[in-house]
Amino acid sequence: MGSIAAELLVLRKRTSTWILLGVWILLGMMFAYLLPYLTLSGGADAPTVTPLAALLPENLTGQLLGGFPFFGGVIALMLGVLAIGSDYAWDTLKTLLMQRSGRVRVLSAKLVALAVGLVPFVIGIFAAGAVASYAIAGAEGAAIEWPSVWDLVRALAAGWLVLAAWAAFGVLLAVLSRGTALAIGMGILYTFVIEGLLAALAGEVSWLGSLVEYSLRANAYSLVIAFGVPSEALTDNGPGSFFGPFVDGGQAVLVLGAFLAVFLSLSALVVRRRDVG
Amino acid sequence: MNDYVIETHDITKRYGDDVAVDHLNLRIRRGEVYGFLGPNGAGKTTTLRMLLGLAKPTSGGALVLGGRPGSSESIARIGALVEAPGLYPFLSGRDNLRVLAKHAGVPKQRIEVVLEEVGLLHRAKDRFATYSQGMKQRLGVAAALLKDPDLLILDEPTNGLDPAGMAEMRTFIRGLGQQRRTVLLSSHLMAEVEQVCDRAGVISRGALVKEGTVDELRGSDALRVVAEPQEQARQLIEGLAEVEAVATIDGALRVTTDPSGAPAINRRLVEAGIAVSELGPDRASLEEVFLELTRYGTEDE
Repeated sequence: MGSIAAELLVLRKRTSTWILLGVWILLGMMFAYLLPYLTLSGGADAPTVTPLAALLPENLTGQLLGGFPFFGGVIALMLGVLAIGSDYAWDTLKTLLMQRSGRVRVLSAKLVALAVGLVPFVIGIFAAGAVASYAIAGAEGAAIEWPSVWDLVRALAAGWLVLAAWAAFGVLLAVLSRGTALAIGMGILYTFVIEGLLAALAGEVSWLGSLVEYSLRANAYSLVIAFGVPSEALTDNGPGSFFGPFVDGGQAVLVLGAFLAVFLSLSALVVRRRDVG
Repeated sequence: MNDYVIETHDITKRYGDDVAVDHLNLRIRRGEVYGFLGPNGAGKTTTLRMLLGLAKPTSGGALVLGGRPGSSESIARIGALVEAPGLYPFLSGRDNLRVLAKHAGVPKQRIEVVLEEVGLLHRAKDRFATYSQGMKQRLGVAAALLKDPDLLILDEPTNGLDPAGMAEMRTFIRGLGQQRRTVLLSSHLMAEVEQVCDRAGVISRGALVKEGTVDELRGSDALRVVAEPQEQARQLIEGLAEVEAVATIDGALRVTTDPSGAPAINRRLVEAGIAVSELGPDRASLEEVFLELTRYGTEDE
């Protein structure tokens, strides 16, 4: 427990953690509520305009989860990279390993702290979303109905799982590259270019479609769709647009869980075997 | 109980075709301050990293405090500062030690003790990034002392310090060695080892080329005598029972003998009517020995 408390202290005191949390909530509110509401209240009548109902408290989970696989994933990836990669950059991994025996124990403490650290990212954006949707409902005189506690808990868990899978990917990239800059660059390249291209070509090449069904991005999007995110919201999402293929929610949970396990196991294997310092 | 705190057995580390450490056999005794002397690139840091379990030997092995390097029985009793102190720049000095103490399972009271010991209590609340190089080194030493270790491994601890800081750090290390601790001090500075260590080993190109007390490393004791007429002085000195050898070097006599016999030799020369203009100890400095032993040392590590 001491090691986990130590790593939580490091994560809490790191400025980049708070910057990422702030950026995440700011972007989430801007794209999920502010811009759609301004467009709606400006009188636009295009089919892409978000209906008022989507911005009300009852659709809180669907409206927020749409951002998790896209910029939420990138934010979580950066958090994962910084949580581990900085220890290589500052040589603190060497110092930590000299405190007590067990490389995997030190890495595990970091991973548990990271997993706990993702909770405020999920709860924070849902809390901000609740305030935004409540304000919109009040301004529009709409009835205020909240999602059930069960739906909310499931949505929070799904959001955490999406962020955790991406953060674990960041951890693996940081361990492999023994730093932060290359890991973040490679992570973003993979997210936007490789997975994006694969998904774009999936409709034309059948075997590629089957492959994409097991990709991080496809399963993250498939999971949030299961919580009421309209697929149109994903296909018209700028650089985060995703056209499928989609899988069912159960498979998405399993595949994301498998990614999480594989990324972390590989990271532990490399940390355990490779020389440090 | 084994008297050696560190024992290496033909420990070797290769990086491809490069041999960083070559069949090194070290024996470091309990309670001594051992100097690990060698030029940059000689393999000192690589050896220390292997002793701490941070790097795996290619062949050979080591026992550190009775356990294999990196094992719990070994790491729990070692404090180390290897190369530059690796600490979080955004945390205060105290918070950095808090993190390490939590990892090590050390009571938090130790934090204030070690901060006091290295003289950093007054800056403990400041971020590590704002510390001077000397303060960073001192916090690194504080981190190494946190576990109140039996074995302290310090790799170039005076790196980046000004002369006053170096002198202060050496006095501090000497003090640590006078307690029950064993200290392994790696350095490329002969003066440091000369001032601080009981014994030293000289490493060059990954191999131990000489080991012993500082006096043993310097070689046999001798006197330097400048006297006229020189040939008469030489004959007289060669006739003395306590003198082992006499050689003429750079216009002076090098007399291999116990330097405590200098007054008697001086008296005999003067009584013989020989004018003595210089008579004093003539011992090779450790620096001369070091340069001689490591003249093939590389600068590429």
